[in-house]
Amino acid sequence: MEKIIKSMYSWIDERLQLQDLVNFMGKKYVPIHRHSVWYYFGGLSLFLFIVQVVTGILLLFYYKGSADLAFESVQFIMSKVQFGWLIRSIHAWSANLFIFAIFVHMFSVYFEKAYRKPRELTWVTGMIMFFLALGFGFSGYLLPWNELAFFATKVGSDIAGAIPIIGEPIKIFIRGGEDVTGATLSRLFGFHVALLPGIFTMVLLIHLILIQRQGISEPMHLERFEGKEIKKMPFFPNFLLRDILFWLLVLNLLAILAVFFPPELGKKADPFAPAPAGIKPEWYFLFMFQTLKYLPANILFIEGEVVGIMLFGLAGILWLLVPFLDKKSSRGEENVLINYIGIFVVVFIIVLTILGWLS
Amino acid sequence: MKNLIFLFLITSVITVQSQNVTREDKCFTCHEMLGDKPADLFKNDVHHLKGISCSACHGGDNTSDDIEVAMNRKKGFTGVPKGDEISEKCIACHANQNKMKSFGSNLPTNQYQNIKSSVHWRLALSGKEHIVQCTTCHNAHGIVSVKNPRSPVYPLNIPRTCSKCHSNEVFMRSFNPSLPVDQYQKYKTSQHGILNSKGDSKVAQCASCHGSHNILPVKDVNSKVYPLNIPATCSKCHSDVKYMKNYKIPTDQYTKFASSVHGKALLEKKDINAPACNDCHGNHGAVPPGVESISKVCGSCHALNAELFSSSPHKKVFDEKNYPECETCHSNHDIIEPTIKMLGVTQEAVCSKCHKETENKKGFLIARQMRELLERLEAEEKNAIKLVNEAEQKGMEISETKFKLKDIRQARLETRTIVHSFDLEKFKEVAEAKGLATTKIVIEEAKAAIDDFYFRRYGLIVFIFINSLLAISIFLYIKKLEKK
Repeated sequence: MEKIIKSMYSWIDERLQLQDLVNFMGKKYVPIHRHSVWYYFGGLSLFLFIVQVVTGILLLFYYKGSADLAFESVQFIMSKVQFGWLIRSIHAWSANLFIFAIFVHMFSVYFEKAYRKPRELTWVTGMIMFFLALGFGFSGYLLPWNELAFFATKVGSDIAGAIPIIGEPIKIFIRGGEDVTGATLSRLFGFHVALLPGIFTMVLLIHLILIQRQGISEPMHLERFEGKEIKKMPFFPNFLLRDILFWLLVLNLLAILAVFFPPELGKKADPFAPAPAGIKPEWYFLFMFQTLKYLPANILFIEGEVVGIMLFGLAGILWLLVPFLDKKSSRGEENVLINYIGIFVVVFIIVLTILGWLS
Repeated sequence: MKNLIFLFLITSVITVQSQNVTREDKCFTCHEMLGDKPADLFKNDVHHLKGISCSACHGGDNTSDDIEVAMNRKKGFTGVPKGDEISEKCIACHANQNKMKSFGSNLPTNQYQNIKSSVHWRLALSGKEHIVQCTTCHNAHGIVSVKNPRSPVYPLNIPRTCSKCHSNEVFMRSFNPSLPVDQYQKYKTSQHGILNSKGDSKVAQCASCHGSHNILPVKDVNSKVYPLNIPATCSKCHSDVKYMKNYKIPTDQYTKFASSVHGKALLEKKDINAPACNDCHGNHGAVPPGVESISKVCGSCHALNAELFSSSPHKKVFDEKNYPECETCHSNHDIIEPTIKMLGVTQEAVCSKCHKETENKKGFLIARQMRELLERLEAEEKNAIKLVNEAEQKGMEISETKFKLKDIRQARLETRTIVHSFDLEKFKEVAEAKGLATTKIVIEEAKAAIDDFYFRRYGLIVFIFINSLLAISIFLYIKKLEKK
């Protein structure tokens, strides 16, 4: 077996000079330390994105992006298309795991202060991808054109509409009109399968090139032991094989989730039907949704919801600009405030998500 | 002394009598002498007999025979009351319990309250007065007790009194162009109307069903003739054994109707489309439907059944034997929901009343085959529902198959109609070609979905095994690689 593989490799190598690439990758090293486990979530996000692209393309073969046909086409995919149920189920679960992996990756980078100089742009591109991923989630949620998705999109775009001055144009831009209609579906379908993937791929490439150029960040506590040799492993094949091992384990999890908990389709959206009780957004929007629910009707003559949205907007901008605000970490000094803020944000998100889930 | 006491008593009696009766009403005296009609009518008016003067309604001074004094506006003379003034004069006493008691009357005093909410108290075309005044029905000067046959509201006279307006299409059109004006004509042909015209004051007339002062539009849920209230309204008389004694008709119709499929739909489910008494018997022209018209009456709703029956071999036989068409199998007031048990040759099946293995055998065989087919369809349908539910509970997307269950149900319902053709081939077209064929497809699809469910789980096990094997191989390879 080994012989066959070797002869196949040398056959390709003779034609493509693969050995150069292997040598190049072999010279890339990944630090080994007690927090190395967090490195795998970047790779996992990439893997799940690929799963999304592949399953998304397969779904596109049968999905029809119009209000008259969307629901029926998803129904067709689930009941008539060979393994259609599996593809849709994997696409839906992989989307959730993708966003979860991004969250973990983002917070691990945050707590490790891996965004510090010279990796500010890597953080910014990562954050842009994070926002794009949320956009993927929001736009993809409506595509089955079922009751829950319809009203969740209505509520979601209403929240966007509450932003002062620019809110209304944003709402109309998202909806493609005054209300959530077939025009909204076509629009979000376009965003989901063309616009967002296009932008995402470009930003992802920049993100990967930056990592390639700058190498993988080492934790600050290791940097302080200057002179001491930091344990490292070659990216190829050692780290890549570990990455693949992790991907395979996640693939197992994905398969179990997809088979045992396939996403329900529910009822077809009816714009004239009353909104069903307990409309909730997807879990990754739940903490924001729940916070807005807790805010009083008015805060200092301003509508509570508007204040909430503005605060979340501000928090998002500050989070994006963390590498530029945290000068201390860039200088190699420990910034405890950043840790406290990070812990507060994580606890806030977890608690509010649980409360939203239970309500 | 004794003589003195006797004289005192006699004088007292004469004095008291003169206070009540002999106090002369100068208005009446003069007008009677003049021979005018109102005074002539008023002579026998219940109010006149109670000593109520003309001035009670017209004002003025009834003690003076001087026209300048008696009919002086300064003395409160108002002349002939107009519009709502008429009813206001009546209400002044008739809504006042104490006043009524002072005249020795036990009449109810809620007429005004009742009429205020009635359809008749709407504004007239002028917009200045209400449609009816008390005098519209009770007359003005010759008012007599309701129990007096001369009263326009005496039971025998009510239909004619109401018809004065309600049969006048020009008048009625002004208020409600869609309201029929033939009620009186129909009533005269009804059993109630016939007996009424013969002098039976017990039979229903307009007020018996519609009420008197409190008449509401038919569409008002509180109306006595609102569809949901009709059975109770009719049963007020028709379920009263004592009241109906002389008419020699059953009094259990309401009890039977209430337990029937129609009664349950109307009274329990409050479905106003379900038939009430009047839908089969007519309302103003109410009569029991004759044998020959039963299928027409039932057929006004159950059109297909009636049509199929009319073209079936049973039609001729039923006509010859003078059997009421629908009623023979379904009964009348106590029609129960038809079940499979009605069909076939078992003892409880209606077919077996006439069709036996030895007598009318052809029908016997057809009935038996129809029953067998229907039993099969019902059993297969149950199985299909069970399998679809099982597949659905397993999380399989089976909505399209589930939708087909409706086709099976539809076919089963259609058998209930097509059975009235008593044609086995037609019955098979529905039960077999539609019902059982769809059932077969549904069962196959549901089974396939259930099989698919298990295939997914077995597939998952295989995938996890292969995937885990690969993961373990990579893990071992890494170990081997790093050992070097």
